[in-house]
Amino acid sequence: MNRFPNGLPLTRRRLMAGAAALTGATAMPGLLRAQEPGKPAEIIVRAWGGVWVDSLKRGVSDPFTAMTGIAVRHDLTEDNEIKPRIWAAVDQGRVPPIHINWDTTANATSSALRGVCEDLSDLENLGGVLPLARPIGLDGVPIVNTYAYVYVLAYRPEAFPDGAPTSWQVLLDPRFRGRVALYNDGIGFHPAAQIAGGGTLADIPGNMDACWQFITRLKEQRPLLGEDPDFTAWFQNGEIDVACTISSNAREAKMNGVNVAWTVPVEGAKVDTDGLWVPRGLPANETYWAKQYINFALSREAQQVWLDGLGLPGVAPGLTPPADLVGDPSYPTSEADFARLLLVPPRIQAEHSAEWFARFKDIMQG
Amino acid sequence: MSDADGRSARGRAGPRPPLAAYPLGWRVLDALEAAAELWPRRWGGAVKWLMLLPALALVGLLLWGLGVMADASLRAMDFRTYRLAEEWSAANFAKAWGSAAFWATARRSLVAAVAVTAICLALALPYAYAMTRTRRPGLRRLLLIGLFLPFFIGQVVRAYGWLILLGQQGMVNQALGAAGLGPYRLLFEYPTVIFGLVQYMLPFAALMLAPALAAVPEEVERAAASCGASWPRTLWHVVIPMARPGLIAAALVVSTLTLTDFAMPAIMGGGGSDFLANLVYDQFFRTSDAGLGSAITLILTFLGTTVAAVLLTMAGIAAQGGRGRR
Repeated sequence: MNRFPNGLPLTRRRLMAGAAALTGATAMPGLLRAQEPGKPAEIIVRAWGGVWVDSLKRGVSDPFTAMTGIAVRHDLTEDNEIKPRIWAAVDQGRVPPIHINWDTTANATSSALRGVCEDLSDLENLGGVLPLARPIGLDGVPIVNTYAYVYVLAYRPEAFPDGAPTSWQVLLDPRFRGRVALYNDGIGFHPAAQIAGGGTLADIPGNMDACWQFITRLKEQRPLLGEDPDFTAWFQNGEIDVACTISSNAREAKMNGVNVAWTVPVEGAKVDTDGLWVPRGLPANETYWAKQYINFALSREAQQVWLDGLGLPGVAPGLTPPADLVGDPSYPTSEADFARLLLVPPRIQAEHSAEWFARFKDIMQG
Repeated sequence: MSDADGRSARGRAGPRPPLAAYPLGWRVLDALEAAAELWPRRWGGAVKWLMLLPALALVGLLLWGLGVMADASLRAMDFRTYRLAEEWSAANFAKAWGSAAFWATARRSLVAAVAVTAICLALALPYAYAMTRTRRPGLRRLLLIGLFLPFFIGQVVRAYGWLILLGQQGMVNQALGAAGLGPYRLLFEYPTVIFGLVQYMLPFAALMLAPALAAVPEEVERAAASCGASWPRTLWHVVIPMARPGLIAAALVVSTLTLTDFAMPAIMGGGGSDFLANLVYDQFFRTSDAGLGSAITLILTFLGTTVAAVLLTMAGIAAQGGRGRR
């Protein structure tokens, strides 16, 4: 007679009972999972390093793993560098190297225009978030914006004993020759330069002479040109006194003990968004779980933790701002706050970024 | 273990020793010889091409890549769809030609290639000469370590090292501050990039020069001295001309590496001293304009090839090779 491992004799009754129990045990979760495709062992999310990935991990990735059992791996390849790899994979019918791209909306828009983004309009949480989450001027929802950020005027208070600077014109002050910094592609500065140069936001992109004239004058100040980590390092090492950078970088430097402050000058400051998107060409089940990750990233609980770390206003309504940013103009939450800021639609940015970049380079390198 | 050796061994001592008794190198050669016997004799002419096959495959891969680049360089990017145009045009080359950034970065790259090469040769020559001529083994060992150690430290690490040393709060400015001077902005200028490149390229130049100087017999120098030539005259009229292949090789390596360098201008230039390689990166990765990026890449390749051709012509190698002289 066959026996169960515990030594009980294997009778027909016991066999039937065991089979029924086994069927029930497997069928019930199966019924629950009927709506969900198979889970991949992990999903890969491209992210920026430092405070950016730490916040994402704490606010979104770790809770997502706890909920679903799917591990989340963060790929810190630069957003600009992952883009051609995704484009090539989609064009060649290969599986893309990542599941979710955390990207600037302007950069992501170029991928959307190329047609390599999955449509995200069916995300459950998209219905309950602020209109800012939906990209302007694109068909469907190829990208979901997850928060806004402002390119502030960051400065070292020691260099401004009479108080905070009030205008972008301070960048032209001869006192700061060689001690001014901008992004090396000019990103975030064009609208501010346009207004500071005497132009209007409405003239972008048709007539940006005011912007280019202001940047040409700024070239004489021999500015340093860098990327996010450079600004923190330059403030820390005393290389610069004033810069146009994302408020998160200035806040991170401040939290690291560097004496940095920031302001939104009277001309306003550029507001932009970052978003998440899923490349086409993934297996269907992986696409599904990648979308679920983004869906969770839109939830209030995920946004609260994630964006507390970054000090940025999210798209989920009712978030509590970090204590140090309450009332800060770089943390817009109301329509009045946004009205002070300068917004260039991502599609216009995507269609003109190469032209603006070339012009900026001609001025700065020429 | 050639046949002749084997026969003579058998002739002298009777039975052939076991195979294991012969050196490994001999056995390998025997195996290769046996394998070569399998090759049909009428295909003997193809053997040289077979041996060249790996090199030809590599060159073919390079040419294929250049072909892809050439094709992309003739297609303008449509920024409404972020796709390259179907039809060919010279728009990308025209755009590069009309770009102030292109001319500025091209000029900067070429000037750096010339300056870094000249400085490296001037510094590497005495170093390599001392290393090959010294009679003190301890000094030679020290110079060799000094030559090879930098190869274990990557270019990016070295560049960041200079950022620490030359920054506003770096060691140099601290030392100047102790003397009541500064602080001065020593970083993020074009001369800083040149300085970083010289420090990076110097070991390459010394490494290329050392064998050439070692090949110059010391007797030649003594002969020149016995004819009344001073040491500087001997160096100028005897040693340097005889070491010319090494000088040309060093110049070739340093100039082409400098011309195409990316990291040093990116890290030490503060964004305002870009080279052509940085401009290429910008096109591929910042603006996603593979067409313009390919066009500038081809121009950079042409410049590098021209520099190499000029140097080889100066060495007379091109002329000798071209006329088949022996």
